[in-house]
Amino acid sequence: MDVIMPQLGETVAEGTVSVWHKTIGDTVSTKEPLFDVSSDKVEMEVPAPAEGTLLEIRVDAGTTVPVGEVVAIIVREGEVIEAKAAAPAAVRAEAEVAKADVASIRSNSVKAANRDANGNPLSPAVRRLVAEHDLDPTAIAGSGLKGRIKKKDVLAYLDSGASRAPARRFPAPPPLSFSADDTEVIPFNKLRKLTAEHMVRSKATSPHVLQAVEADFARVARARTGVSGGWKKREGYSLTYLPFIAKAVCEAIREFPRVNAAIDGENLVVFRRVNLGIAVDLDFDGLVAPVIKDADQMTLQELARAIRDVSERARTNQLKPDDFTEGTYTISNSGVFGTMITAPIINQPQVAILSTDGITKKPVVIETDDGDTIGIRPVGVLAQSFDHRAIDGAYSAAFLNRVREIIQTKDWATVLS
Amino acid sequence: MAELTYREAVAEAIAQEMRRDEDVVFLGEDIGAAGGVFKATVGLFKEFGPERVRDTPISEQAILGAAMGSAMTGLKPIAEIMFSDFLAVCWDIVANEIAKARYMTGGQMSMPLVIRTANGGGSRFGAQHSQSVENWAMMIPGLKVVAPSSPADVKGLLAAAIRDPDPVMFFEQKSLYPIKGFVPDGELVDELGTAKVLRDGGDVTIVALAAMVPRAMKAAEELSAQHGIEATVVDVRSLVPLDTQTILREISKTGRLVTVEENPRLCGWGAEIASIVADEIFWDLDGPIIRITTPHIPLPAADALEDATMPSAERIVREIVEKID
Repeated sequence: MDVIMPQLGETVAEGTVSVWHKTIGDTVSTKEPLFDVSSDKVEMEVPAPAEGTLLEIRVDAGTTVPVGEVVAIIVREGEVIEAKAAAPAAVRAEAEVAKADVASIRSNSVKAANRDANGNPLSPAVRRLVAEHDLDPTAIAGSGLKGRIKKKDVLAYLDSGASRAPARRFPAPPPLSFSADDTEVIPFNKLRKLTAEHMVRSKATSPHVLQAVEADFARVARARTGVSGGWKKREGYSLTYLPFIAKAVCEAIREFPRVNAAIDGENLVVFRRVNLGIAVDLDFDGLVAPVIKDADQMTLQELARAIRDVSERARTNQLKPDDFTEGTYTISNSGVFGTMITAPIINQPQVAILSTDGITKKPVVIETDDGDTIGIRPVGVLAQSFDHRAIDGAYSAAFLNRVREIIQTKDWATVLS
Repeated sequence: MAELTYREAVAEAIAQEMRRDEDVVFLGEDIGAAGGVFKATVGLFKEFGPERVRDTPISEQAILGAAMGSAMTGLKPIAEIMFSDFLAVCWDIVANEIAKARYMTGGQMSMPLVIRTANGGGSRFGAQHSQSVENWAMMIPGLKVVAPSSPADVKGLLAAAIRDPDPVMFFEQKSLYPIKGFVPDGELVDELGTAKVLRDGGDVTIVALAAMVPRAMKAAEELSAQHGIEATVVDVRSLVPLDTQTILREISKTGRLVTVEENPRLCGWGAEIASIVADEIFWDLDGPIIRITTPHIPLPAADALEDATMPSAERIVREIVEKID
């Protein structure tokens, strides 16, 4: 029976086998993970499709294959295998050759890549594109004389999305030299690599601008205190500030929809739904941003539960691929550590991200009809990074100001009751 | 805007500058009362008189020697060499004296003169009266070299050449004298060292000069209509200074360069451009450089033979279609 690369979400076309939990000959079960698979969105465990024995592993750990590709073969209990197919060995040998090819191209890209599939030399413009995008020229169809590849053929090939690797836009820095005695080397895991790539890409893509407002959380604090005992008893966890901020953000987005958007070429795509990404730290072992769909349709209580739900599932590695898709705006919360302000990096392809930081009691000047007084208020900073391609400072500032207003003036006690 | 012939534009430019600046004088063989053997200077003698428009003996060395001396002593002479082939007899004056005067005097002396000459083939004048010799001048440091393709460019560039403080070789292509084109009214002064993009296409960049420009344009239309090949056409206009910014930009866009040169192939200006392309934008090239030139031969006088040797629109089309893929 074939074990195939599962569909990891509607928008995911391929997956990487990150680790095999079983070796050939092991008993496999639908109740045990057979292998882990990761995509650019998620890492998940895949159990065997049936009870049986692992006969072959066709895709080595670390290899990326399209959804639906056979990654292993298992023999179901009682199933008789007539003849072991010769294919796997051949496939492996082919893979070895391919690897060697890649290595030789990398080591001497121009020399190795100077002919097309028909033996024609490549023009300088084609060579440059091939090197820049790490392409295999023999895979590109040429439209010129005797099948010669022209520059436009490479551009068409790149447009078709058929290239085998993304452009290497950033040259690798020279390797560090360090003493093994004085250092501990921590290899990046899959999530670390994804995060690193995403952060660099986001900074390279979007001109980030940071704006921050200071908000008085007195009303929110009063509402929390009012229900805190009952909430914790009923729900099993404390009611934090975050759902209030999320609620305020959802309401403010209704008035300032362009922060709830993505850039597509030269268009700003403004989303009608508000799908709120919540950045969750995995106990210092990575960062994910699961998405709460249609957050603007939720009550404060529902939002609190949804935030709790995705955070819990994130920490226990229970998130599903679709938990990561379709986000339209993201909130990052470093507040538990008492930070004052954080400049967050935009979660691409969104155009804005809000950071909430520590809410601490501070002396605040309060204006009354009888003159100004100083009061002690819980105050916190709301900081938003926005993509200056998409919107301008005034719009972002007006949005932030609206979030603050809602936090400061809404009758939260009634909302909660 | 008036429609002028290429030859009328020559006289207009000279008249414009002689009216503006009385230091501008004009000398050459039969340029005065006769109006020039190509009728490119009609009317100047009548307007400006024999002091400023001087007929000379048949001695190219005397013409250029007098021009050089008067330039050294404050005038701004325009000297005509009837056929550019005859530059050979006065090359010492051009290459060693005129071109070097500013340098040899440490900048104390400038040489504000223009040498106008009828250049190139297509008029059945034979091997000694048809040569395209702009590349002779191009290889001498100290000379500016201009070769216009249209009446408007003749007027604007010749005016700019006359106002330039250094020696300018101005090559008029003699088969272009009868062509017509619109020229803006009023004073017209163009800028030396600028190329012109005459046509925009995505597939190939044709770089041409003087009489080869209208042929390249005709070929480009034919390539578009008959073969689906869209050509950019760049008129070089000025070989020294050379507008490499425009030329290289236009070649980079298509990745393909075709030069169309009237000069014999060896050391033609297109070879220099090909060399600059290899130095500066090699990685933009999407195929071999194609040079379309007259072969390395004396130009024949017989109609059919002259037509067979100089690049024609048909030959430009044929070579591009054959070699571009």
